[in-house]
Amino acid sequence: MASAAVAAPAKAATRTRTGIPSWVWALPPVAVLGTVFLYPLGLVVQQSFRPDTGGTSARAYADVFASTAFREALGTTVWLALGSTVGCLVLGFVLAVVIAFVPFPGGKAVAKFIDVFLSFPSFLITLALLFVYGTVGMANGLWTGATGAAEGPFQFLTTPWGVLLAEITYFTPFVMRPLLAAFSGIDTGQLEVASSLGARPARIVRQIVLPEALPALAAGGSLVLVLCLNEFGIVLFTGAKGVTTLPMLVYGKAILESDYPGACVVAVVNISISVGFYGLYRVVSRRVGA
Amino acid sequence: MSSGLRFDRVSVAYGGTTVLDSLDLTVEPGEVMALLGPSGSGKTTALRAVAGFVRPAAGRVFIGDRDVTGLPPHRRGIGMVVQQYALFPHMRVEDNVAFGLKAQKAPKDEIRGRVAEALEMTGMAAYARRHPRELSGGQQQRVAIARALAIRPGVLLLDEPLSALDARLRSGMLSELARLHRELPHVSILYVTHDQVEALTLADRIAVMDKARLQDVGTPRELYRAPRTEFTASFVGNANLLPVTVGSGGVDFSGTELKVPTRDAARGTTATLCVRPHLVGLGAGPNALTGSVIEVQWRGATHRLYIEVAGHRVMADLRELRQPPALGDEITVHFGPEDAVLLSAGVTPERSAPVAVRETVGAADQGSRDG
Amino acid sequence: MLVHSRRGKWATWAVFFLLFLPIFALPLLVVLAASFATNWSSAFPSGFTTGHYSVATRGESLQALTTSLVTALTASVLALVVGTWAALAGHALKRGGKRLLDALFMLPVAVPSVVVGLAILVAFSKPPVLLNGTRWIVVLAHAVLVTAFAHQSVSAAIMRLDPAYEQAAASLGARPSYVLWRVRLPLLLPSLTAAAGLCFALSMGELSATMMLYPPDWTPLPVQIYAATDRGALFTGSALAVVLMAATVLVLFAVSRIRTKASYR
Repeated sequence: MASAAVAAPAKAATRTRTGIPSWVWALPPVAVLGTVFLYPLGLVVQQSFRPDTGGTSARAYADVFASTAFREALGTTVWLALGSTVGCLVLGFVLAVVIAFVPFPGGKAVAKFIDVFLSFPSFLITLALLFVYGTVGMANGLWTGATGAAEGPFQFLTTPWGVLLAEITYFTPFVMRPLLAAFSGIDTGQLEVASSLGARPARIVRQIVLPEALPALAAGGSLVLVLCLNEFGIVLFTGAKGVTTLPMLVYGKAILESDYPGACVVAVVNISISVGFYGLYRVVSRRVGA
Repeated sequence: MSSGLRFDRVSVAYGGTTVLDSLDLTVEPGEVMALLGPSGSGKTTALRAVAGFVRPAAGRVFIGDRDVTGLPPHRRGIGMVVQQYALFPHMRVEDNVAFGLKAQKAPKDEIRGRVAEALEMTGMAAYARRHPRELSGGQQQRVAIARALAIRPGVLLLDEPLSALDARLRSGMLSELARLHRELPHVSILYVTHDQVEALTLADRIAVMDKARLQDVGTPRELYRAPRTEFTASFVGNANLLPVTVGSGGVDFSGTELKVPTRDAARGTTATLCVRPHLVGLGAGPNALTGSVIEVQWRGATHRLYIEVAGHRVMADLRELRQPPALGDEITVHFGPEDAVLLSAGVTPERSAPVAVRETVGAADQGSRDG
Repeated sequence: MLVHSRRGKWATWAVFFLLFLPIFALPLLVVLAASFATNWSSAFPSGFTTGHYSVATRGESLQALTTSLVTALTASVLALVVGTWAALAGHALKRGGKRLLDALFMLPVAVPSVVVGLAILVAFSKPPVLLNGTRWIVVLAHAVLVTAFAHQSVSAAIMRLDPAYEQAAASLGARPSYVLWRVRLPLLLPSLTAAAGLCFALSMGELSATMMLYPPDWTPLPVQIYAATDRGALFTGSALAVVLMAATVLVLFAVSRIRTKASYR
């Protein structure tokens, strides 16, 4: 044949059938995202180098880094996020294992409930905890009623521990969902074979379930970590002056103090921590194919 | 519309791996060509190159006289049926069948007529208002065929169309497909399968694929009676492949003289002798081989014996025996000289040069390999 | 499967519900109970009343509910359009391009919502586009925040979509645009409605960015709830929260009905 072995242009494969290169179709949504998200984000970074006095300087950074409020907020944010993540992982794993492998009537309903739970806003949890552990709430009321004491023993709600409890409560379903999905992929035959070979439940969980769950745990855990770093509603609703996280600091500086350069500096720090962890999450979840 | 199709040195590679290597093949107008091969042999890739879902790294694909290599799938005018049918689940049967005509903006009246015709032809007219999920596998299969036929393609591509059906339905669908082809004598069909029975039953010619290459092509009878390569011999039907040395007027198999046609094979060269198990007979006769029975399998209508002859296993398929031999029994089997085919050894299947000359069977395909 | 003895099973379930009920069910029950009470300083609430609901479904509270519903609906539609478009365009790209697009569209999840609010405040408080003080800035922020989720769930659905359908359609002579409208989008419909429900729920409960942006005449329900609890009206806040949850669940339920219908069509 005369025209044998003519290489088809390799580029052609990435074209849509109409001949318009497929990257052109990606431009409109990217342009929209750029206008309403990336460009504003860029402005925040720019503003953080523009003090109110004019000019360009990193003075706002120096000021913010020097303030104890910022350093405390940074520390609180990070340890709260790490603590909540660990709590969610442990609790979520235990609950998901029971739902998946010790099935009970209504287990489906519980899984459904968890889905619905995810669609509620986080501050509801804090609101509920106010009634349960608040200064005049249920637990303290019971205590003062029983002992006649003037004050109940549960005063942790306005401390970081209250925030920690609320965050673990709210974010545990975020770990359970990917775990349940991963567990549904485990061949139950494996578990039956293992137990027929004489393995006890603890051993099966450790040697079969846990390795299978690791990718989902890693993915769910890093997502929760990022969400905790960014959590605002829970902290706002505790109304505690003692607990300030980075998002709270951004809100305080911008809305309450109208210190925009300062707010932008804190925002830049918060973004870099969160996006850093988020990048890690993406890498991890792609590695493990979750 | 009768068109036929032609592969002209078509190569396809994915990420450096060649999955189809310089395929040259012509399907005549109205011909049924089966692409037969194990999984990974490149047969599906060849079909997808015709459909336009993979782009050849080299070579051209022609439908009729039209070079379609650079054309997008929707401008190729082919009908295609895939393994899982891919019926649109959100459309009724009639809308599935009408899809191609609507997409090409055919006039409304014409659409109605052609949908009815296609459904009639596949025996699915009574199911027009159903949804695909309400149909059995075999019925879905028919709808998929009706959908492909409604656009009146010149070329029909069938990619393992029967492999999702159970054995009983499959043989029924095989005769259905044969009937359809008789009713549509102008449509060329490219039929991808790994099942030799489907290929032998349906195809006018079979192209045997292995390791990304075309190994052999010919009518079913040619390939079965006179395979050119060991691969064809063992993939199309069962075969005893015995290592032999060519002598004069026969071959030497581990010290036994066998009288078989040697054609132009040179004396003293090594070669492979192909004998079909069902052409092996029990007892003494021409080309007798004696050995001990190492396995007996009862298969209902037949017995298969495995006999060890001079360190080689020989299979014999015999009509059910009243008194099958016991394991370890010494028995003699034989085969007629005309039932053996000498394959040249030392010839890699990729460059198959036939030793067995093929005048014994009709030379129907001589025009097809010079494309 | 894991525990076979009867006693072991019951023990496991007991532990499960001891953890599950106080942590997940209790908060919702507490809020529900509080919404009907006037006082709660012992084991159970007291002073049963439906008065909070008459407050919660009138005047500015009712307006807050409408505000939230309109905001969530608009933001979800915007997010769904942009997210679906991006997901479809990304699917057609090669690996590197797709990855870049995915990363860009997932970025709003990683950036704190408060910061998204701040960024939009900074960007749209000055010409050329002056949105500060209008309801559109709230809608815009919500749309930005939920687009990531729309994009992610639609992307996943496209990945799961068997390419055999579009290939069958193309082999029958359908142009790509025809395949998109008549085959791909209808097949994606269940996932699209699921994504819409998710976006809606997230937008209904959005507080962080909203706190940075809301103008006085566009107060969504979560802000109203915060205002109530902040001035100490916890019981009214609970009633508002129950209204919020009920509205969200109702819409999710409606969406899942549509979805079942779509997938059985």
